[in-house]
Amino acid sequence: MESIRKLSFQTSQFLSFVSKNQILLMSLLFVSMIFFSLLAITFGSYGLSIVDFLLGKTSDIQNTVLTEIRLPRVILSGLAGASLGISGAALQGLFRNPLADPGLIGVSAGAALGATLMIVLGGDIFSQYSLGVFFIPLAAIAGSSLVILMLYFMTKGFGYEGVTYMLLVGIAINAIAGVGIGILTYISSDSELRSLTFWTMGSFGGVTWPLLIPVILIIALAIIIMIPYSRQLDLLQLGEPEAFRLGVDVQKLKYTIILTCAASVGASVALSGMIGFVGLIVPHLTRLLGGVNHNYVLPGSALMGAALMIIADLIARIIIQPAELPIGLITSAIGSPFFLWLIFKIKKL
Amino acid sequence: MTISAKSISLELGGKKILDNISMDVRPGEILSIIGPNGAGKTSLLNVLSGNIKSHNGNVSYNNTPLESISIQERAYIRSVMSQFQSIAFDYSVEDILQMGWLDHSHKDIKEDLSAFQNRVIKECDMENLIHQKFNTLSGGEQRRVHFARTLLQLWQPANTKDQNYLLLDEPFSNLDLVHKVKMMESIKAKASSGTGILMILHDLNLAYSFSNKILLLKNGRVIEQGETKKMLSARLLARAYETFISIDENPINIRYY
Repeated sequence: MESIRKLSFQTSQFLSFVSKNQILLMSLLFVSMIFFSLLAITFGSYGLSIVDFLLGKTSDIQNTVLTEIRLPRVILSGLAGASLGISGAALQGLFRNPLADPGLIGVSAGAALGATLMIVLGGDIFSQYSLGVFFIPLAAIAGSSLVILMLYFMTKGFGYEGVTYMLLVGIAINAIAGVGIGILTYISSDSELRSLTFWTMGSFGGVTWPLLIPVILIIALAIIIMIPYSRQLDLLQLGEPEAFRLGVDVQKLKYTIILTCAASVGASVALSGMIGFVGLIVPHLTRLLGGVNHNYVLPGSALMGAALMIIADLIARIIIQPAELPIGLITSAIGSPFFLWLIFKIKKL
Repeated sequence: MTISAKSISLELGGKKILDNISMDVRPGEILSIIGPNGAGKTSLLNVLSGNIKSHNGNVSYNNTPLESISIQERAYIRSVMSQFQSIAFDYSVEDILQMGWLDHSHKDIKEDLSAFQNRVIKECDMENLIHQKFNTLSGGEQRRVHFARTLLQLWQPANTKDQNYLLLDEPFSNLDLVHKVKMMESIKAKASSGTGILMILHDLNLAYSFSNKILLLKNGRVIEQGETKKMLSARLLARAYETFISIDENPINIRYY
């Protein structure tokens, strides 16, 4: 070959497959995410004013509430929403199946089991090492990776016939992990472990900066790695042989999506527990708004997931003050009927 | 400058699918593979396209062994149209066509590709399909879209002229007569512009009426290959298909323009 060109799906400086509408939509989602964040920081059981904070007119207690409690919580809810949203979108693309969701197929449950095991068995090691804060997210990531890899091999590389199989495996894994987490939370006296409700329904409360920072890094990295694979996910929809013929290294694509999804879901579950149906609903809403191509759906789902989760957490905090609703209760209340509707709709096709 | 296969053999699950096949696809030529069901036609195409690795023998493109051409680079030199699965999401026809766009890293690529796409849309008579959802199209319409996509994949900027190839598995299935003729015209035009073309065909009349060469396959072996005229033998075909075959010179001739 005289002229060897490098086909790049990523740094296409002259070709882009995002329409002007989609860019506008993503900007709108970004703006609403920022707006909701400000709302979520301001409102709560303890009223705060961001303007006063910026002008330095707030008391020490108010400052502490804002920077040590409210802000980490809002960031965590946004991150969890973004990671579940984008992972749901990427997994749906990878499985070529609109029913895939990190929760439904057992990835979140694997992560929760990994995290609880680490907390119970790990004992005091977190405080002994400087990188100890990474241990719980890493254990969660190991759990979620294990589940995705198991799905991968049981469906022979996400082959086309694996659709129902995958959901059945998900049911089994969810049940197994549920038992594991249940036993661990009841036998352990460890105060770190938190309650069963936390792991099965999720919560953004009680997060601190030292725990949050590794999770921010992991999720940000996963998203940055994932987004350039958007175009290849589009081509994969034609089928694996076709994607290969269009220049996609299908194996590499699969492993990258598996690992990045496992990492971002694992990291978010480690701090916020299992929050159901976000990964299912968010990509669908994103597609309904602006189209199905992954160059838009992946970043769009991250932004939409973050925005929705921030506002959902605000609602969970203020609706039955001074108590709090588990966040998973809200997402499941909306998500489960939506799931039924989706099954109904797919069956009609 | 050919796709050249030398002594290819392929076994799947202990069954011999391809047995010692050697063949060439030359620039500007239309080669049709014919043969009964289970002869190994699609497997041969998959080995040539690089989707399946043969156990023996080797495939080379323009004198470069296929294994030493990267997966990405292969996309520039051959495009393939085969049987398709359904698509899970609601892509528009235009989205599907753009999946055939390869990045050529030059400045006006978007304009150039759009212009070329408009020409292909016209050539393939798809103006009315372009804004529809792909999943709502009929089987024949979907094949036309995929065909147009494979043409787009072979687009080259004006300053490059790499030898490329078009591999087609049953391109005309589900097509009505008018669009069959239109697609044939496109394929012929592509061949005369220098692209090498390989087709798998079941319709012997079609195969003989517009290919330059024919390759007759049976049980994974080449029974005979050569110029179309030389291959026009009732005895040869009867041997391959194990049935009585006769050849008449078009008693009724319906033409569509």
